[in-house]
Formats: sequence, structure tokens, C-alpha cells
Amino acid sequence: MSHTALATRQTAALAWRSIITTMRLPQAWFPALFFPLVLMAIFTASFGGAPGNIPGFPPVRGFLDFAVCGAIIQGVLIAGTSAGAAFATDIENGFFDRLVASPTSRVAILTGRLGASIALGVAMALLFIGIAAMFGAQVDGGVMGIIVVVIIAALFAAAVGGLGVYLAIRTGSSEAVQGTFPLFFALLFFSSAFFPLDTMVGWYHTVAAANPITYLVEAMRDEVIGGATVGTALSGIGIALGLACITVGASAVTLRRSLRVGS
Amino acid sequence: MTRDLVREYKGGIRAVDEVSLSIESGGIFGFLGPNGAGKSTIVRMLTTLLRPTSGTAIVAGYDVVKEPDAVRRRIGVALQDAAIDPYMTGRELLRLQGVLHGLRRAECRGRADVLLGRLDLEDAADRRVATYSGGMRRRLDLALSLVHEPVVLFLDEPTTGLDPVSRVTLWEEVRRLNREHGTTVFLTTQYLEEADQLADRVAIIDGGRIVADGSPAELKAQIGFPMLSVVAADGSTADDVRRVLAGFGEIVPGGREGGASVRFPGGSAAMADAVRALDIAGVRFAEIDLAEPTLDDVFLASTGRHLEGGDDAAA
Repeated sequence: MSHTALATRQTAALAWRSIITTMRLPQAWFPALFFPLVLMAIFTASFGGAPGNIPGFPPVRGFLDFAVCGAIIQGVLIAGTSAGAAFATDIENGFFDRLVASPTSRVAILTGRLGASIALGVAMALLFIGIAAMFGAQVDGGVMGIIVVVIIAALFAAAVGGLGVYLAIRTGSSEAVQGTFPLFFALLFFSSAFFPLDTMVGWYHTVAAANPITYLVEAMRDEVIGGATVGTALSGIGIALGLACITVGASAVTLRRSLRVGS
Repeated sequence: MTRDLVREYKGGIRAVDEVSLSIESGGIFGFLGPNGAGKSTIVRMLTTLLRPTSGTAIVAGYDVVKEPDAVRRRIGVALQDAAIDPYMTGRELLRLQGVLHGLRRAECRGRADVLLGRLDLEDAADRRVATYSGGMRRRLDLALSLVHEPVVLFLDEPTTGLDPVSRVTLWEEVRRLNREHGTTVFLTTQYLEEADQLADRVAIIDGGRIVADGSPAELKAQIGFPMLSVVAADGSTADDVRRVLAGFGEIVPGGREGGASVRFPGGSAAMADAVRALDIAGVRFAEIDLAEPTLDDVFLASTGRHLEGGDDAAA
């Protein structure tokens, strides 16, 4: 078996392992589904009248259409933090040592974990769109629109996964990784994930306008509520890809360094 | 297998200080030492998990720094505190380990079945590891390290925290592996009995240095004589006991608490002489016993201390 073929098999096996351990641990997947869906429901019930009545609110058929992409991003963020914490647990309990002492490709250690994050991100995007559709939401962009939403969600999942791995290696503590979660939650709220940028005022508007998540969510949202162009889709994909490159690159560098020095 | 191996941590602390070892293949090598002696550090270096600060180490014919992947393909590793994913089943973990070692799908399945059977884990094979007992986890850990039929097997404190029955079961499996498959076993332990029972060669490590090296029988023979220990009582002091015993042999530093111990060339036949001498000197004593040399005596003779944390260190 060639080196690449073996690394690919190892990646698949490790990704599969990450996915099934996530699925078997309710505290790993439940919050990632529960919180975004509940928030989506509450916002939709509370602000159902917002579209059309609040100046600055984009024209949408219903608030649910508006809210679903924010929920996807939130779910991916929560799942990513859990994935980072799981990687830290692997370091803490020695699973990582077992991998390192085996001929497992060093790349597969990283890509296995990221592959699982991406797969879970895709699944979550499709699930949330499906649930929203059951309650009457429609994707304006059709199948192509869904594909763009899923691609951005997948890339964002890779970005969050990369950040999780980076934090896990740097701290070596699952609690520390889990502890960074409120930070990301704040980052999400300081974006247009839940409300449009144009209804925000003052410094809040300034912060949200500078937050890359804003543009990521909006590129996804345009596919759902209408108004998407090839340009908006590509910019969303570009931002997600850029974030993923930064965090995955950083995690690869830290992983390499930690393996060279030995822990 | 190693030459002048050094591992220095920040601040110049030498966890491993110029350790040189040569281990023949096909044997069971026991590395005996207290906590913090440097055993695990050496194992981590030999299993490519930690880079030596200086020195070289050749494992299964390959240099751990220059050809780590070649080493990794040939070694099995079961580190301290069995690193096992609690949310997976034993069979799943074994198959995963097979894929990581590049085994074909059918081979992975076959090896998993064979090892589950051999380590008596068939009934628990499809249960999550979280439900396993400590002994079952160690057996699974051992099975995982054997998936690819390694040439050298590293076991870092394989039975720490296990009950005596599980310990003996694991020992039997290690012996069988060594006997039937010719696997070279490198094990660390803080249990004298484990080194004595299992290993055909023992090195004693303390403070990052090897202080004794040989077969258990050789090491005990170096001590030579059995040890006579006497505990003072009824107003007599340990010093009184020591003064009398000094006439019979070499006083063992750090010997019996509340009394003294001496290397006793006379053996049991001369014990009466010692009792008489104590009597004549008016030294009163509560206990007197004669013990054949143990590895703890070897440790004591080499380091001036008992093996801390050992199960029978107090004996």
C-alpha cells in the first residue's frame, strides 16, 4: 500500500472513530443541536413580525428563513468546541500517545479529526435546513443554494475544528478547550448571525461589521432568503476557506512542533 | 539497545542520566525502580514518543531518532494507565488499531478475533470499554499492542493497580507471548515480585541511573548472604542491637526499623550464636528473622533505600 493510500485509510478510520464516539456521547452532540434549534424557535416566535416592520430588516418571507443559517453556524461552533475538547481528552488519557507510537501518518492524526468535524458540519447543515423546511422555510437558491450553504458550513466546521485542535495541543486540557466556548459564543452574538447588520446601532454595529462570521452567515443566508449571486457565494466560501486555512495551518504547525519536541 | 541515553528537562534536570543498556532479543527484560526513577521516560524515548537530549537508542534494529517509523512498525506499546477510548467496544478498537498499522480489512477482523479469544475478552468484545473492569482494560490494552505482531513489546507498569488475580493472568499471557511468539518484552515495574517472577533479566534504576543489572538470581547472588534482622524491645535500643549484630557481618544500611539488619554469612545454623550474643550483651529483642536475599535487598544494597511504593517493600 502506498504511503498516501495508507494515510487516507488511517484518516477515514480515525474520522469514523471520532464520529461514532461523538454520536455515543450525548453531551457531545446534544448541545450542538439543542441550543441552536431552541434559539431559532424562540427568535422565530419572538420576531416573527420583524421582517417588513423593522427598518433595515431584509425582505424575507418569514423569520425562520432568516434564522436558519445562524443556527447552523452556532451548531457548528458548539460541535467544534466539543471536538477540540475530545482531541484534548485523547492527549490527556494517552490515546494520542498510542497513535504517535504507531506508524499512523502524522497528517492522518489531524485530518482524521478534521474530517469528522466536516462530516458532522455537513450533516448538521442538512438537518437544520430540513427541520426549518418542515416549519415552512424555503431555500430560494434551490439545490445550488443548499450546496453553497453546506460548503460554507463544512469549511467553517474545518476552521473551528482546526482551532479546537490548536487549542487542545497548546493547553493539553479538555477543560481549558471547553472553557474557551463562551468566547466563541460572544463572537457569534457580535455578528449578524441572529439579526441583520442594518438594524444594529453604535459600536455593536461596528463590531459586527468587522466580524468575519457576519459575512460568512450572510453569504449563506442570501442563498436561503434570496439575493445571492455568484459573487456573494464565492466571498462566503472564500472567507470560510481563509479561516480554515489559518486555523488548520496553525494546528498543523503546533502538532508538528509538539511531536518534534516530544511531550 | 541504548547507549549513553540522556533526557534533560528544562532547568537541567536529568530524568535519565547516561543510561546504556543492551538487551538481547527474545527475552523478558524487567526495569525495576521507584516512581520518578526515569523508567517511563526511557520507555517514552524507546517508543519514539520523546526525543533523547543526547545519546542513541536502537530498537528492533532501527534508530529511534533517525528511523522512527521503522521502529513504530515493529514495536507494540502499552503505556501506563491503559489509554483506551471508553465509548468504543473492544472489537472496534482492535480493528481501528489494525487499520492504523496498515493491515488489510480481513486481517484486521481476523487479528481482532484471535486476540479477543486469546485474552479472554470474547464475551465483552462488543461492549463499550467503559463497562470493563481494570483487569479487562489491561488485557485489551495488551491486545491492542499486539495487533500487528510486534517484535518488541513495551509494557509500562502493566499491572499497577491491578488485583493479584488479574496480575497473574497478565503475567501468564506475557510469558506465553514470549515463549510461543518469541516476542521480546521490555517491561517496567515498581513491583519486586513482578520483576522477580516475570523477567529473565532485571535492571534496577534509581534517580535516572542504572544501579544494578543482571538476572534475578545473579543479582541476589551478589548480595550473597541472607539477611538477619532483629527488632529491639523492652528498653533496649536499635543501637544496642546494631552493636551486637555488627560482630556477625556487614550491617545493612537502612535495615529493619526499630532494630538492625546484618548480612549473615552463618545462615540459619549460626542463628543460635546471634541469639546467645544478644542475650550475653543483655539486649532485649522482640523479633528475629532470617530472610533469603530478595530484589528489594538488591535495591537496598544499591541505593541505600527500600523500594518505595513496592507492594512487598516493607517485608
